[in-house]
Amino acid sequence: MFATIAKLLARRILVSIPILLLVSMLLFMILRVLPVDPAAMSLPPNATIEEIEAKRVEMGLTLPLPQQYAIWLSQVAHGDFGTSIQLRTSVTRLIGQTLPATIELAVLAMAIASALGIAGGLLLFYLRGTRSETVLDVGSIALLSLPEFLWGLFLILLFGVWFEFLPFTGVLSAGYQKPDITGFLLVDSLITGQFATFWNAVQHLILPAFALGVSFSPPIMRVLRSSLLDVYQDDYIHQARLRGLSERRILIGHALKNAILPTLSLMGVQFGFLFGGTLLIEIIYSYPGMGNLMVDAIRNTDLPIIQAVGLTYCVVVLVISILVDSLYLILNPKLRTR
Amino acid sequence: MALLAANNLSVALTRGGSAFPAISDLSFQLEPGKILGLVGESGAGKSMIGRTIAQLLPSGFSVTGGTLDFAGEDLVTMAPEKRRRLLGRDIAFIPQEPLSALNPVLTIGQQMREHLARIGKTEPARWREHALAMFAAVHLPHGAELLDKYPHQLSGGMCQRVLIAMAFASRPRLLVADEPTTALDVTIQARIVKLIEEMRQHEDTAVVFITHDLRLAAQICDQVLVLYAGRPAEYGPARDVFARPAHPYSRCLQLASPGMGSERRGLFILPERMPGLQAIKTLTGCRFADRCPNVVAQCRTSEPPLAKVDGERVAACIRPEATAAIEPPPAAAHAKVTGETVLEASGVSKDFVTRRRLFRAPATFRAVDKADFVLRENEFVGIVGESGSGKSTLARLVVGLESPSQGRLTLLGRDVTANRTSERAFRREHLQIVFQDPQSALNPRRRVAGIVTQAMEAAGGGTGTERLERARALLDEIGLAPETALRYPSQLSGGQKQRVNIARALCALPRVLVADEIVSGLDVSVQAQLLDLLLRLRQERGFSMLFISHDLSVVRYLCDRVLVMYRGEIVESGPTETVFAAPSHAYTRALLASVPPDDADAAWNRDDGGDLALVERA
Repeated sequence: MFATIAKLLARRILVSIPILLLVSMLLFMILRVLPVDPAAMSLPPNATIEEIEAKRVEMGLTLPLPQQYAIWLSQVAHGDFGTSIQLRTSVTRLIGQTLPATIELAVLAMAIASALGIAGGLLLFYLRGTRSETVLDVGSIALLSLPEFLWGLFLILLFGVWFEFLPFTGVLSAGYQKPDITGFLLVDSLITGQFATFWNAVQHLILPAFALGVSFSPPIMRVLRSSLLDVYQDDYIHQARLRGLSERRILIGHALKNAILPTLSLMGVQFGFLFGGTLLIEIIYSYPGMGNLMVDAIRNTDLPIIQAVGLTYCVVVLVISILVDSLYLILNPKLRTR
Repeated sequence: MALLAANNLSVALTRGGSAFPAISDLSFQLEPGKILGLVGESGAGKSMIGRTIAQLLPSGFSVTGGTLDFAGEDLVTMAPEKRRRLLGRDIAFIPQEPLSALNPVLTIGQQMREHLARIGKTEPARWREHALAMFAAVHLPHGAELLDKYPHQLSGGMCQRVLIAMAFASRPRLLVADEPTTALDVTIQARIVKLIEEMRQHEDTAVVFITHDLRLAAQICDQVLVLYAGRPAEYGPARDVFARPAHPYSRCLQLASPGMGSERRGLFILPERMPGLQAIKTLTGCRFADRCPNVVAQCRTSEPPLAKVDGERVAACIRPEATAAIEPPPAAAHAKVTGETVLEASGVSKDFVTRRRLFRAPATFRAVDKADFVLRENEFVGIVGESGSGKSTLARLVVGLESPSQGRLTLLGRDVTANRTSERAFRREHLQIVFQDPQSALNPRRRVAGIVTQAMEAAGGGTGTERLERARALLDEIGLAPETALRYPSQLSGGQKQRVNIARALCALPRVLVADEIVSGLDVSVQAQLLDLLLRLRQERGFSMLFISHDLSVVRYLCDRVLVMYRGEIVESGPTETVFAAPSHAYTRALLASVPPDDADAAWNRDDGGDLALVERA
């Protein structure tokens, strides 16, 4: 089994390289086509034409485009995304500061989406043919039809403003020190034993993660329900009943293990979308992640940051899909022995 | 005392306030250690009885009357929890499709362990020992390795053995086997049946054996119950029912299946179909009347009761004495074909790559090894062998779905080995294939007219009217009503679908037809209709056919010559009668021995089939 997974990983990583190259090329070209001049932007407004020209030569903007791309790419390959035009700091450092927060948000949101989706799917299946199923079904469509930013606003209103239940801006309340070891706030606060900080951080994460997760749960719910319905048509379920197994045992021990497979592929695809969805949620909750960085960069046409964030998104999505494929392989013995 | 006893048991489907009877007035008694055979065509209600025993009826169906007593307690009125405790422990089931009856994502060991824990006869810590002991009892080799395998890594026969091991692990008092060998090869069928008999003797288990094969039932069962449209037609000692059927339906079933006896006889063609649930409700009189060759006016006035015929036998017929007079039509003699050669294979081999290796030639598996044969004008040639023998690969090579690794294929004098575009068009024009499963071979979203005239699309189409006309002509030829042209496949019965499947292949008037198991899985009555159709079509329009089948009796009936394949090689070939009367290869002998004999009193010597090491593929 491990050999097959290793083989899959090797193949997928190999395939990822041309994908990344293509995306980097697109990012580079499209942003060069924009009618902005990075040289002019990085100088004070009263700079002379000559000064700007000199800056252009210094920044390499006068070189042919392919050569510019090659230089940029080789720097990126060494982990150097250049310097932010606006913030005048290393872009790599900026990404390093914001990516962990975004990953924490996305992972928690996905966990919430999966938990809600799987529980909901089981419930829908359990209630099949009853009136409650119809009610739940309509409910799940309602959940689905609200976009995540509306959920964000709604939850702020409900739990943040009316009930004053949970905080809804930033990652920590004032007065808490941010430990910095790995960059992942939840992990760091646990490692250093600052449980109060950990709890505060969790409280801050709940609303944005829930807003993001809840709108991704209905598809999981519905796919799980329908694959359960399919699986229950299979002979081995009938045979399990004939062997006298309890319905609970059949559902958990036999049906779910098969029905989870299509659900898992869907979750993989969704995680990609969800990661992109962090952008809006981060802005709504003033969450200091990559999304906020990206929006600021776009507002200021800060090209190095836009390129770096774009490429990071791409890498994250690729990594997720490779992980999901490996998980699929672990859960589905048929694919392993092919 | 009887272990399982049905008393006037009735099951019905309730829909829209009215009840449609699925099983009516069924009574039988099964003693411990005995085997009761339930026989009939699909839809007769055989499997419904199995489901009634477990009380796992399809939705809408319920028991509407009578009792079904297991060890003196009525299974129908028993508390569900109590009944569930009996299942798997005291009442075990062996399914029809062994491969799909095991959970694909759990190992054999996990499923065995779960089952053993559930029946609770072994300490949890010692489940492994028990599992291995059971595997040994069902003659499964390498039990320890098996525990870590997944179902898809095993053959159908091995999965069935695992399921039999599970079934007998609890030493059940009753075993329900629902067509346990239908999905398996003939040689494996013989051994699985033997295994069930062995286990039954050992444990004194009573067995309900559901099968469509009257000949098989006669061999292994003590009692046989023939069902027709949910009603018992005949019930009595197995050998009596088989040797002297009292009900015309039993007799017709027997005559509809091609025999393996010394004399080749024609097939009795049962017309039409068994009435469905809707029709039964409005029927008065005998349910078999419409298809019965002995029908008289009185048959249609009231339903004949089960009456004693002789000894312990009862039959629901008012004139059982007339049954013996039903005779099969004379057999159409096999053609002595001497015409020109239409298809020729010389030294055709096919290697499949099993594993690609870096820097070395890939590992290959030889599916077909140097096959030589000719097919003449108007000749039907049968290819027999068990799964994995390469017969389907050979068919795919002939049709051009695969290209041979070696050798030469000639169609109508033209070399078609290379399978280039021009050859493909030539092949399409003169050679067509009929696939095994019409359910998946027919596009469910196209009307029959579109399906059967598909060949016209490749040749440029034709107008809608032209195609509809051609479709009607084709349907007429294969014996379907012209209005079928506008139906969808889902609106047809299994037999009708297979007819449409054949009509599609015949549309372009091909000279050669390749038929891959086209009658397996169909009821004997439908099978007889289709075999008759193929013979009639040959007479009317003339064509040659390669007929691939695992059913020796069908090949014997239909084909002029036969090729026996074993592990990719053609081990024997010749005129069907000669090969079957005096087989020269050990494998052919083993194949023939695995078929239950026509004569119920003849001993079925299945050890021949078992001795030859026909190793089931792991």
